[in-house]
Amino acid sequence: MGQLKITIALILAILLQWTLRNVAEPFAYIDFPLIIVVYAALQRDVLKAIFFGSFAGLAVDALSGGLLGSNGFSKTLIAYAVSELARRVYMDNLLLRIPVIAGACLLDDLIYYGMHKLLGQEPVGQVIIVIAYTLIGTTIAGTFIYLMLDSTLVERRGNKKRDMFPTRRQTRRRNPIRFTK
Amino acid sequence: MAERSQKEVWRLTPWLVIVLLLGNFLLMAFDARQLTSGQRIIRVWSQTVADFVQSPVTTISSAVSGYFGSISNLRSAQSENDLLKKRVQEQEVEIKGNEDLTAENARLRSLLDLKAKSKIEILTAQIIGRDPSIWFDSSIVNRGSLEGVKLNMPVVANGGLVGRVTAVSPLTAQIDLITRDKSGLGAIVGEIGASNVLGVVSGTSKKDLVEMRYVSGSVDVQVGQIVYTSGQDGIYPAGLKVGEIVEVRTGSATVPHQIFIRPSSGISSMQEVAILLYEPPVRTEFEQKLPNALTETKKPAGSRP
Repeated sequence: MGQLKITIALILAILLQWTLRNVAEPFAYIDFPLIIVVYAALQRDVLKAIFFGSFAGLAVDALSGGLLGSNGFSKTLIAYAVSELARRVYMDNLLLRIPVIAGACLLDDLIYYGMHKLLGQEPVGQVIIVIAYTLIGTTIAGTFIYLMLDSTLVERRGNKKRDMFPTRRQTRRRNPIRFTK
Repeated sequence: MAERSQKEVWRLTPWLVIVLLLGNFLLMAFDARQLTSGQRIIRVWSQTVADFVQSPVTTISSAVSGYFGSISNLRSAQSENDLLKKRVQEQEVEIKGNEDLTAENARLRSLLDLKAKSKIEILTAQIIGRDPSIWFDSSIVNRGSLEGVKLNMPVVANGGLVGRVTAVSPLTAQIDLITRDKSGLGAIVGEIGASNVLGVVSGTSKKDLVEMRYVSGSVDVQVGQIVYTSGQDGIYPAGLKVGEIVEVRTGSATVPHQIFIRPSSGISSMQEVAILLYEPPVRTEFEQKLPNALTETKKPAGSRP
């Protein structure tokens, strides 16, 4: 059920990315699909994360003036990097996830920009400003979305925590000093 | 057992990542190579699917913003109404004069036996989607191939050139703006016939500025002059307004001018555009055989029949 919810969240994120810029320009600075891809990667489901990365990237590229596959490339790489990180470091804490989403956003922008430069394309706008705004927007939105997703998938998270840290069997303590007979 | 399968997944993953990255890279390389020609089928499908979401969202958001906008505009309505009444009276006089001139023009044309200049059909369209990536600035409009839109058709707004159609689905079309660095169009400073200052206008990667190149440094160009399309690029018809010159970095006899133009179409704030159902004339056999001419497979679709 949790898997289905994340998939629905990804589809919603793609739809929001497609439509929100036409409602208000500042929404373009939030990378909704990246937030969900990183969230999936943090669940240690690496296969799902990389497929999500490729699919979401291609879906965004398809309606963009940029190169087809550039978002797919960067998001696949980010998904793999984050799931490798999540495999080695325990990151089920929201505070630890904030720098992860910020770092992922920065890396995603740099890869996206670098790939376009490599293939002779010049994206619009000033690089530093666009990266800075995207970093701020995506990190703030990501924090709230993770809170929402965690509250929605709380049951699954509780199960996972129980699996990872099973309750220790309480041994019966015996008091070696007996005051009574 | 479960542990082993998890290990297998982790062993398989790097190879899968490499395959996906390679696939995406090949797609990018292919797209970069043939950016100006044809369109990718994936774009057409995505646009068709996205239209079902984008159109209702745009309709609702524009209705809401229109409602609040009309409330805020109510205050200035009285003074605006007076101004408009005055303007209507002035325009009635102007229209009467124009009617006389049109009749006179028709009479003179018939006397000279000139054929009537063919008009370009216009299709108005609403912008239903903007580029989902902040790095680019293309737009999606609610008109597609079912209404006769084809690749490379010019798009105008507020009396100025906006760009051209770069992808068409049955219900929608994607527009690439003239501000994009890979765009290019033949242009002339001043009206055609009254000027011979020709050059090429291309994007500067800035959202509100384009650059005119290859203008000889020996000709006089002033800030404030208007730039029009020359029609020599094989995509845009002649006489479309591109914008106003805002800066001239003067060249010399051997160095061309560097001219910066602000597009007059108000690209950043446009909500509605007009697609010109224009197909450029067929080029002669000689031009098609030039060494730098596009081959049959690489030519911009819609530029030739």
